[in-house]
Amino acid sequence: MTEANQELDARNLNCPLPILKAKKAISSMASGEVLKIVATDPGAVKDFESFANQTGNELLESTESGNEFHFLLKKA
Amino acid sequence: MEHYQTIALYGFVGAFLFGAIGSRTQFCTMGAVSDWVNMGSLTRMRVWFLATGIAIFGAQSLQHFGLVDLSQSIYLTSNFTWLGHLLGGFLFGIGMTLGSGCGQRTLVRVGGGNLKSLVVLLVMAISAYMTLRGLFALLRLQINDPSTIDLEQSGLTTQGIPELTSHFLGLSPSIATAIVAILIGGGMIVWALRDREVRTNFDNMLAGIGIGLIIVFAWFTTGYLGFDDFDPLPTEAYSFIAPVGNALTYLMTFTGSTINFGISVVLGVLAGSFAYSIVTGNFRIESFSDKSDLINHLMGGLLMGFGGVMSLGCTIGQGISGLSTLAIGSLITLISIIAGCAFALKMQYYLYDDQGWLHALKSTLADIKPGK
Repeated sequence: MTEANQELDARNLNCPLPILKAKKAISSMASGEVLKIVATDPGAVKDFESFANQTGNELLESTESGNEFHFLLKKA
Repeated sequence: MEHYQTIALYGFVGAFLFGAIGSRTQFCTMGAVSDWVNMGSLTRMRVWFLATGIAIFGAQSLQHFGLVDLSQSIYLTSNFTWLGHLLGGFLFGIGMTLGSGCGQRTLVRVGGGNLKSLVVLLVMAISAYMTLRGLFALLRLQINDPSTIDLEQSGLTTQGIPELTSHFLGLSPSIATAIVAILIGGGMIVWALRDREVRTNFDNMLAGIGIGLIIVFAWFTTGYLGFDDFDPLPTEAYSFIAPVGNALTYLMTFTGSTINFGISVVLGVLAGSFAYSIVTGNFRIESFSDKSDLINHLMGGLLMGFGGVMSLGCTIGQGISGLSTLAIGSLITLISIIAGCAFALKMQYYLYDDQGWLHALKSTLADIKPGK
C-alpha cells in the first residue's frame, strides 16, 4: 500500500472545501509525493476524479469505508 | 380540486423529479463555478448551460405558438432594476459558495439528510422574507428605487433582449427573437455538447436535458394550464429564494394560508431528493465540522436570501427560468452570480494562507485568471 507523505482531514466538509484544501496542500508538496484525503461528502468522489483529470495529479486510490471516502493523490 | 391547487400539484410533480435528478446527478451550479475556478474544468458549467439552452428554446416556442405569454412574468418587467441584479447576484454568488450550494442544491442536500443545509435553508428563508417584506426590504428599496430605469419612457414594453435588439437595430420583433434565441440558447447547447464528457455521460445528459425540460413544463403549467380570466395566477417557472421564504411562512401560518406554485415546488424538490436518497440508500445525516463551518453556512444563507430576492432570482430562478424569457436582467444576474462565486472561491483559497483578509483580497484581485 502506498504511504502518504501528508494527510488532509476533510471530514464533514462539503464542496468546494475538500478540493480547495487539497489544492492548497498539494501546492506546497514536491513532485511524486502523495497526499491522503479523508472526506465524508459523497460529492467528493466525482470531484477528486475531475481534479486529477484536470490537474494531471494522479488519483492512486479512491475507496469507501464506512461513511468515509479515502483518496490518494500523487503530485505530478 | 380548486384551480390553484391543480397548478400547485403540477408544480410539485415536476419539482419531485427535479429533486430526484438533482440528488442522482449532483447537479450543482456552485460546483460548476468551483470546477472552473479551481480545476479549469467547464463540464458542469456546460451541463448547467445545456439546461438553460433547452429552457430558452422551449419557453420561446411556447411563446411563439401563443400558448404562454412570458411578458406576464416578473423577469420581463419594464422596471429595469439593473443595480439590484448586479449587486444581488454578486452577493448571492458569495452566499452560495459559503453555504455549500445554491437554493436548489440546499434543498436537495436537506432531502439527503444534510443538517448543515437545513440551517442554510432556514436562515435563507428568513433572510429572503425579510428582504421581501421585512427589515431588509428597506435596504433593498434604498438600492433599487433610485437606480431603477423605467423602460417604458424609452418606448419599450419589456426588458427582453429581443425587444431591445429590435428597438435599437430596427429589426422586426419576431426576427429579433429568433436571432437572440438562436445565438444565446443555441450557442449554449452547442457549447455544452461539444464536450465529450457531457455528451457521453448519462448523468450529465439527464441533468442538462431533464432540468431544462422541467422548466419548460413549469412555464406550460403556470402560463397555459394556469391561465384563467376569472382566477389569474402568476406566470412563473422554478425559483428557489423568495419561494423558500414563502414556504416557511406558509408552514408557520398553515391554517390561514393557501398553497401556491412556488411553495409546492420547494416542497417537491425536498420530497424528490428525500425519496431518491432513501431508495438508493444514500440518505445520511451530516453535521457541522467546527465553528467556522457553522459561521460560513449562516453567512451563506443570509447572503443568498438577501441577494436572491434583490436580484429577483437564483442560479435556477434567473440562470435558467429568467434567462429562458431572454430578459436582460436575468443575463446580468447570471454573470454577477458567477463573478461573486468565483470571487468567494478565490478568497477562501487565499484565506488558507492564514495571512488575513487583506492579503487574501489582494491575492484574489491579482489572480482573476480562472483555472490557475
